[in-house]
This record gives sequence, C-alpha cells and structure tokens, in this order.
Amino acid sequence: MNKSIFERIDLLLLIITIAVIICGLLAIFSATYTSGADYFSKQLYFSVIGIILMIGISFVPPRIIARSSYIIYLLSIVLLVVVLIIGKKISGSRSWFSMGGFGIQPSEFAKIATILALANFLSQGEDAFRNVNRFPEFLKACAIVLIPVLLIMKQPDMGTSLVFLSMILPVLFWVGLSPYVLFIIITPVIAVLGAFFGINYLIGAIVLIGLIMLMFKKNAFVAAVVIVLNIAIGYSFDTLYHKLQPYQQKRITAVFDPSTDPLGSGYNVIQSKVAIGSGGLLGKGFLQGTQTQLKFIPEQWTDFIFCMIGEEFGFAGSILILTLYMIIIFKLVNNAYMTKNRFLSVACIGFASIVLFHLVINVGMTIGIMPVIGIPLPMMSYGLSSLLSFLVMMGIAMSAYRYRNQY
Amino acid sequence: MDIEKRKFFIYTVCSVIFALFVVRLAYLQLFNKEELAKESDKNAVKTITVTPPRGLMYDRNGNVLVDNKPSYTVTITPSQFDKNNLDEVAGILEIPPEELLENLKSFKGTNRFNPAKIKRDVDFKVISFIAENRDRLLGVDYQTDAIRYYPNNFRGSHTFGYASEISEKGLSKQIGDYYKQGDVVGSNGLESTYEPYLRGVKGYDFITVDVKGRELGSLNDGKNDIPPVNGSDLILGMDRDLQEYAEKLMGNSRGAIIAVDPRTGEILCFVSKPDFDLSSFAGKTDPKVFSALLNDPEKPLFNRVVQTKYPPGSTWKMLMSMAAMGEGILTPTSTVACNGSFTYGNRSFADHGAYGNINVTRAIEVSANVFYYKMGLAVGIDNYNKYGKLFGFGQKTGIDIPNETSGLLPSQQYFDKRYGENKWTQGLLVSLGIGQGELGVSPVQMVAYTAALAMNGLYCQPHFVTKIRSNSNGLEEEVKFEQRRIDMPQSYYDAVKKGMFLVVNGNGTAGNIKSSEFTLCGKTGTAQNSSGKNHSWFVGFAPFDDPKIAICVMGENEGWGSSFGAPVAGALMMRYLGGPGKTIDGDIKSVAGGQD
Repeated sequence: MNKSIFERIDLLLLIITIAVIICGLLAIFSATYTSGADYFSKQLYFSVIGIILMIGISFVPPRIIARSSYIIYLLSIVLLVVVLIIGKKISGSRSWFSMGGFGIQPSEFAKIATILALANFLSQGEDAFRNVNRFPEFLKACAIVLIPVLLIMKQPDMGTSLVFLSMILPVLFWVGLSPYVLFIIITPVIAVLGAFFGINYLIGAIVLIGLIMLMFKKNAFVAAVVIVLNIAIGYSFDTLYHKLQPYQQKRITAVFDPSTDPLGSGYNVIQSKVAIGSGGLLGKGFLQGTQTQLKFIPEQWTDFIFCMIGEEFGFAGSILILTLYMIIIFKLVNNAYMTKNRFLSVACIGFASIVLFHLVINVGMTIGIMPVIGIPLPMMSYGLSSLLSFLVMMGIAMSAYRYRNQY
Repeated sequence: MDIEKRKFFIYTVCSVIFALFVVRLAYLQLFNKEELAKESDKNAVKTITVTPPRGLMYDRNGNVLVDNKPSYTVTITPSQFDKNNLDEVAGILEIPPEELLENLKSFKGTNRFNPAKIKRDVDFKVISFIAENRDRLLGVDYQTDAIRYYPNNFRGSHTFGYASEISEKGLSKQIGDYYKQGDVVGSNGLESTYEPYLRGVKGYDFITVDVKGRELGSLNDGKNDIPPVNGSDLILGMDRDLQEYAEKLMGNSRGAIIAVDPRTGEILCFVSKPDFDLSSFAGKTDPKVFSALLNDPEKPLFNRVVQTKYPPGSTWKMLMSMAAMGEGILTPTSTVACNGSFTYGNRSFADHGAYGNINVTRAIEVSANVFYYKMGLAVGIDNYNKYGKLFGFGQKTGIDIPNETSGLLPSQQYFDKRYGENKWTQGLLVSLGIGQGELGVSPVQMVAYTAALAMNGLYCQPHFVTKIRSNSNGLEEEVKFEQRRIDMPQSYYDAVKKGMFLVVNGNGTAGNIKSSEFTLCGKTGTAQNSSGKNHSWFVGFAPFDDPKIAICVMGENEGWGSSFGAPVAGALMMRYLGGPGKTIDGDIKSVAGGQD
C-alpha cells in the first residue's frame, strides 16, 4: 500500500497543536519578561519533548492502548492515593510529587488514564457500545470516573475534580445515552443555578424543567419525581454552598459582581478584564502590555495567560486563539466520528470535552463570565504536567486518525 | 438518535459557546475599549527594587570583620526624565552627558517606568541638591544602599575580596538573569565564593502611579510587594587578633602567612603581602586605582597564599622522610651516613656539615642535605609523586576562595614531556629530595601538610567559613569540608614530629624561637631562587602534645628560613596560644637566625 503521509499522520491536528504551543510560548515569554523567571525555557524544553512524545504515541496501535488501559487506570489510582500521603503541599492542596526540581501532578496522569479506562469499558459491548441507558452499565461507567474524582477532591483540588466530571455526560451522550436521561441528569444543575440567584429564579428554573419534561412526552410519574427532587436540591443548595471552601464561595459570588470584592477574589477578574479590554482590536504589541508586564495579574503565565493574548494581541489575537482551539475540538469530535475503532472514538470525545471544559472555564474566567477556578489553558499555560498530558491526549487522538479503518 | 446527529449536536453546542465568547470579547475589546484602556492607564505601576544588605562576616569570637555602611545611589526613571535636564544632571553626577544618555536608552519597554541605578556611592552634597530640586529634576531620585565597611586595623584583602558593581561582561555572562545593571556582585575572595549566600534575594515594592508618573501610593496596600531576603552572615574560623598581628609582623615584606587549626582545617589567619585597601572597592571603583594595582610590579592583587608555586626547600624533608619510611627504605631508627657532601655522576652536592650516621629524626633536626639527596634517589620519581599527592601536593586543597593553583608536583610523565623520554636522569631527584628544583608548592598546601603531620595523618581541607547564619530565621548552618586520613604507622609520624620538635627545642635550625612556655615545633626551609635572594620558609605547629595551631610562613627574598619564617611563625604561634599581648621575647629581627 502506498498511503500518502496525509493519510497516515493527522497533519491538521499536529499543525494546530504546534501552533497553540507556539502561541503559549510567546505568551509565557512576555508574561515573564520583566520578572525574569525562567519559565520560558523550561516550557520550551518540555514542548519539544511533548511533541516528540505525541507523534510517537500516534503510531501506537489502538489495541495495545486499550489492553493496557485498565492497568494504567489502576496505577493512576494508586498514585492518587500515594500523593495524598507523601505529596507536597502547594497552596493548600496536596497534589504534587516533587521530583528533581520539577513538580509532578498525578491527577494530570489520571485524567488520561480515566478516559482510556472509560473508553475501554464502554467500547466492550457486543458489536456496539455498551448500553448506558441500562442502569447498571450507567452506574459502572460513572464509577470509573467518580473514584479518581473522590481522591482528587480529598487533595482538595476542586478545579481538577470538575474537569473529570465534565467528561461524563459528553462521553455517555456519544455512546448512546438518550437525550431524555441526559436532560434529567442536568436538571439539578439548572435548579442550583436558579437557586443561586434567589427564590424567584429557582421557581423559574423548576417551571422550565417541567415544561421541557412535558415536551419529551414520557412517563408523567418520572416527570413528577424529577420536579420534586429538583425543588429539594434547589433548597438544599444553600447547605452545599457552605460546604465549599470560603475562598471558592467568594470567587463564585465575585464572578457575578467582581466589585463586591475588588481587592480580594474579584481583583484578578477586574484586572484581567481591564487587561484584555485595553488591548482593543489589535492589542498593545508584543511585550508592550502594561497590565501584564507590570504584574497586575499575579502568576499570569499559568492560569491567566489568556490576558497576555488579549492585552498584547487584542481582539484579533484572542479570536485567533479561540479559533485554534475550536479547530482542535472539532477535529477531535470528527476523529471520534470517522474512526471505526470504538475505543478510540470514545477516547476522542473524552479528550474533546476536557479541552472544551478547560477552555470555557479558563477563558471564561479571564473575561469575567466564569468563576475563578484554577485550571490551565490547554497547552498554553505554563505547567509541565498539564502540557505533557494534553500532548499525550493529542497523540492518542492522532492515532484514532491513523488507525481509523481498524476495528 | 444516530451518531451523525450526535456529532451535529456537539458541533452546535461548541459553536454556540464560541459565539458567546466572541460576543463577550467584542464587548470588552471593541465596545468597552476606551473605558478599560483608561482604567489600565490609571494603573501604571512602578516597581522599586529593594536590594537587601549583604551578609556580614564575623571571626571565630563573634567580632565583625566585614560590615556594611549606608551609601547613596542616584536613580533615574527613564520615562519621567526630562532630556532638557541631561547636561545639568550629567554635570552634578560627573558623568559625560553622552554616556548618561546611552545608559538611559538601554532601558526599553516597560522597564522605562522603573528607576534605574545610575551612580553608586554618591556624595551627600549631590543627594541634597537632588532632594532640593526634585520638582524640577523629574525622574531623578536616590536610594539608600549598603556598601562594605571594614572596621578593623587590618586588611584581609585577599581573604574577603570585594563586592562591587557588576561589569557589563559579568551581566552578559551570568547564568539566569538575577543581576541587573547597577547591582553589586562579589568578586574575589569570600565575597565571590559565598556570593549566593551573602547577597540575599532582591525584593520588589509596587507603587501605583498615574499616567504622568505621579505616585498614588502603594499598590494593593503592599500586598503584592515581594519582600527582600537579607543576605546571610558568614562565620569564619579566623581570629581577629591573630590576623591583625600577622599583618603587622609581615610589615612591608612580600610573602604569605597562613595558620590553621589542625584539628579542623579552620583558617586562623591569612596574609598575602603586598595587599590593597578593600574600601577603595566598596563604592564606585576608580578605574585609575584599579589599573595602578593591576600594573604594580609588586603584584598586590596576586594572592601569594594560594597562587604561588615556589620550591619548598627543606620544609619538604618531612615528606621525604614519610615516603622513605612508607616504602621501607628507612625505619624510624635506621641510620644513613652523612659525610658533608654527596656525589652523583660527576657532580658534587654540598651540605651544611658532616653529621655521621644519623636517623630520620636527627636528619630533620639538623636539616641534613646528604640524607635527603640519598632519599630522593632511593624513593624514585613514582613514589615521590605518590607521597606528594598523598599529602595534598600537585592538587588544589579546595580552600574556599577562588584562583587556587595546583602547584607543580613532578612525575615520570612530567619529565618525559619536558625533557623527552630517556633524556633526563635520576639526578634530578637529588635536588628534588631536598625540596629544590622543579617542584612548586603554595603556602596553603604547606600548612595543610604540616597540620596533617601534626595530627598523625588527619588531613583537613583548609577553609575560612565554618557556619552560615541566615538573617531571616537566625538559623546557623554548618559548612562541611572534607577530611581524610593518611594511613601510615604512628611510629613514622612520631619520628618526624620528634624531629620537628628538636628543630626548635634541640640543636636544630630554629633554636632562635625556642620558648619555655609552649612547645613550638617546626621546620625551616630556604628556597633557592635563580633571580634574587632566596625565599624563606617555615612550617610549624604547637603545642607538641596537643596541636592547636599549624602555620606556614613564606617570605619572598627574605633569605634563610630561620631569619624570617621562623621568628614570624614563632611569634604568631605564641600569640595564638598565649592570647593577646603574648609574643616571643625580643623583636623579630633580633631573633633572626641564619640557618636553612
């Protein structure tokens, strides 16, 4: 067979990934330009390693990955337990191993492991995906995700736990969860959101839920139970809310009105909005951002890296970055769609939902429409574990393309 | 719902999210730009670098050796500076206007908002002028910095080294980018070796300023400020009184003194003369002063304790004794005939006298040359090299100041390379046996060797610093240096040490420094010098039974070992053991002897 390189390597995904990494490196360079911290060269070094790793992984046949997925999953669970015992405590959470000057975050590793284990589990139906509309199968699938989530919440690292949870619904939806069940699952989110704004909004949310339930024209008893449950959830939200860490509560309230806490949790949001807004259409120019260069935004090379782009490259630069991410996400979904390998298909959807979730939360928080939850911008924020883990995901997604005709 | 529809559904969800973000970004960056840009301008922040004072140095008894004193540094914030004032400011700072302009231009990008250090150690008159004309001379300001101050009556130039403004070369060659223009960095001596500890870590204060550069106050109530970490103090093994006395004894002679505690290797005093005044390097260094030092024929910048490579003369005889006994050529009691001269081939080698059949102890006592001519030949070049290495020669001792030499310890390969294979004879070993010829040692190697003999084989790496004390938590961290054991029978050490005892207390070459109070031991040496008067050496230790000090004195062109080295070393050992005020009877010149 004389296949062209375009058929063997997912060039589009490769090129866009490298483009994102380069943008990230430029942003890190600029963000650390005046402080002089040497994050740029570390990130550069690991980018090169990561890209080689990604290309290497794209050549691994899916069967090998699928077969080892449970072992990898178990190993990652063990690591998550171990990090709770001997991990290094950094800003309040025990989620790091310190190895020769580099911090290693086992939760990043667990992210991939969990997706692979879930994909392996779901792809093992007879001639099709497992039927997750059956309650036991649904429960097992959820358990695979919830075990690491519980361990990560124990660290405690709320942001990463949410990342894990974010993949459940898209993946289950992909393998055939009925829209009706899907909707029932997300009703509590609607109820909680309503409850957050007050009693009137809660009533509105419950009414909305009721109307949509009616539209599905399914069992009226089930509909009634769902509505009653959601009223209960909405009311008990208050208790749940108080179980959050105080700084997380503050961050959530400050999202909707940052001015309530301009120097505390709202500070970053105000400053990052100012930074991005003052960039205008074309930005202030590379290394010329006053907000970012003058360190208004602390540690902007990690979670607030998008500010750099917004301030120094303006609206044009921001849209370019968002577009690159959208291409990646669409490409991942498309790889999931075109591959005949069910295991990789599920895995790609898992990756796509994780990238999307990171993007929405991270960019959302810098432009003031999402709470400040510390999760990185994929492949752009400084962070070696995160960078490598995303590149491994991209490598596996590339293998879905390469082996698209293998069952 | 088939897979096609599901894909389409996901695409739709993503597209909606994308659209929402685009709308939000457009709202912020295109429609709200003016307002947010104004907000951002209001926000300019000035970063003030806070340089912590360098750590101090203390002697073994807690006396300050190297201190700090305040000085003024003039700064200019380039973004605020009015070019019309260029000539005036250059004038009061005594800098050529072009140079000042060039300097200011180098601060690009957002660094132009921050004050740049322009001139250190500025006179108080200039500072008051700047303070009075602050409104007119926009952007010109000053900071108070700490510069080095030396509170004692001695110099310690080569020990302490100096801390001065980093050079352009130093800036471009640094690893990382901690140092900025105008920063101070340790060069030479302990200031250089312990730079990362002494300097601390710079801090930053953030001050909000409006677009015009007017200060509005501390940013975020100072919560974003990064406090500096003060430099750590060095605690030295040095004895202030002994150091002062040693420099005084050295007077205008050229040479070196180093004394250590043989039990640990801690350096008690360290003198290299001629030396220079460190305070001339503390603030701004006058280039004329520096080039004068550099071109001085007496080489004051040269550290004679660690950089000289002179033959050790007769002070080498203990090493030959150990080598000969170690190789079974001698026993502690066997004798060798010394009849006043020695002939090898057709050349005759002289001695100070004829001593008859003498053992190794007596040979050291009287510094018998014939004895060691014979030992040189008997030991051979390979063992010569082996025992030299064993006692630390031909290699760096690892003393904690830079630029140490390895010296020269000849080997078979060395002579083969120098003269060609088979083109040299064993005759070279005759002179090498008495520590003359192609052999180069430094005083620091000599003192470590002497201390190892005194301690029956415990070889300690000589070092200044014993502890580093953090100024942020007061914790003291011990600094570890190497120790090793030179494993040879005790009877060998006893024979050699007995000889060193008799050099001073018997009928030896340094009887001139005999003391009734302390049992001083040692060995004189006179290094032949083809281009002038001989160099005078003395190595010694005391007291005999329980050594507390080991010393090496080297005087360039001072002649006999007993005429300069011995009296100086004797006086210092007495001073250290007996405390301040104590010394040998009479002055150094009056006890000068005339023996090798």
